[in-house]
Amino acid sequence: MISIEQLFSHLGYKKFSEGDLQKTITTGYTSDLLSDVMGNADEGSVLITIQAHKNTIAVASLVGMPAIILCNGRTPTEDMIGAAKEEGIAILATSESQFTASYKVAKLLALV
Amino acid sequence: MRFCIDLHNHSCLSPCGSDVMLPSILAMEASDKGIDILALTDHNCARNLGPFAEACEIIGITGVFGIEVNTVEEIHVLALFETLSQALEFGKWVESILPKIKNSPRLFGKQYVCDVAGNYIEEVDIFLYGQANVSFDNLIELIIGQGGLAIPAHIDRPSNSVTANLGFLPRLPYSAVESIIVPPIVETYDYTVIQGSDAHYMEHIGRRRCYIEAQTGNFAGLKEAFLKNNISFMN
Repeated sequence: MISIEQLFSHLGYKKFSEGDLQKTITTGYTSDLLSDVMGNADEGSVLITIQAHKNTIAVASLVGMPAIILCNGRTPTEDMIGAAKEEGIAILATSESQFTASYKVAKLLALV
Repeated sequence: MRFCIDLHNHSCLSPCGSDVMLPSILAMEASDKGIDILALTDHNCARNLGPFAEACEIIGITGVFGIEVNTVEEIHVLALFETLSQALEFGKWVESILPKIKNSPRLFGKQYVCDVAGNYIEEVDIFLYGQANVSFDNLIELIIGQGGLAIPAHIDRPSNSVTANLGFLPRLPYSAVESIIVPPIVETYDYTVIQGSDAHYMEHIGRRRCYIEAQTGNFAGLKEAFLKNNISFMN
């Protein structure tokens, strides 16, 4: 288990939304199909995806995901950032792929 | 003859559609904007097509009865039918293959079924923006097989489009493809390209209407114009 703050500081990815710093991350979920995220992701996971739009926030909020990592150089739209702030969800962005980001998160969580 | 068409519109039934997008208001506004052939295409659901049909009848424009289906690949496809009963039947099937996820109105918006006068009569419980358990290829085949028009929606959009989600446009018997920008910035081969407003709010109505050249201003006319690629655009 790690805090949102640790996620920011260890990964060094660009921060677009602070999220709720009180929240913790227990695992991760990597997917670019939001329906799959909605159906299978666990509460408390960080979402690793390339879906950089507002609907991703709604899905993350529904599932109870405190943070989202956008990969492959994707940057969030303005309305995505707005929704993330409203819902208290952190957004990080990186030029790294979903594979690399997933590995780093898993390592940070001592899952690998 | 030249007819103005707009085949992609949402009502208050779509979670992302404005609650004041009543089917009758859509038909009235569209008629004011000079649209002759208008479709209502809510996400994965046909339940507002009844009042839409009534409104089109009263106002005197040609209604086309549609659903914007979200496939397993999360690709949006417009399924358009000539008759209300065909569309309702198809809509029932689409609802039956949706994931059983309850809508969260706070996150996604409300899903109202209303009557022609605009009274809300039901709020749909199941989340209508989910993905129907049908593949893109099978869906196209099914729609065409039932005499409908199968149109991949907003093929140039970075999300929920065939181009974005598959990476290419498979060679399938589409009736036409819908592009936000014309001429399209993505490969469309020799498919007929149309524009549609994808209206979710009042102010969107008619924003991307286009024109067909056909003998009749009805479903047969649409089919004829699509086949001959007799389409022209606003600008």
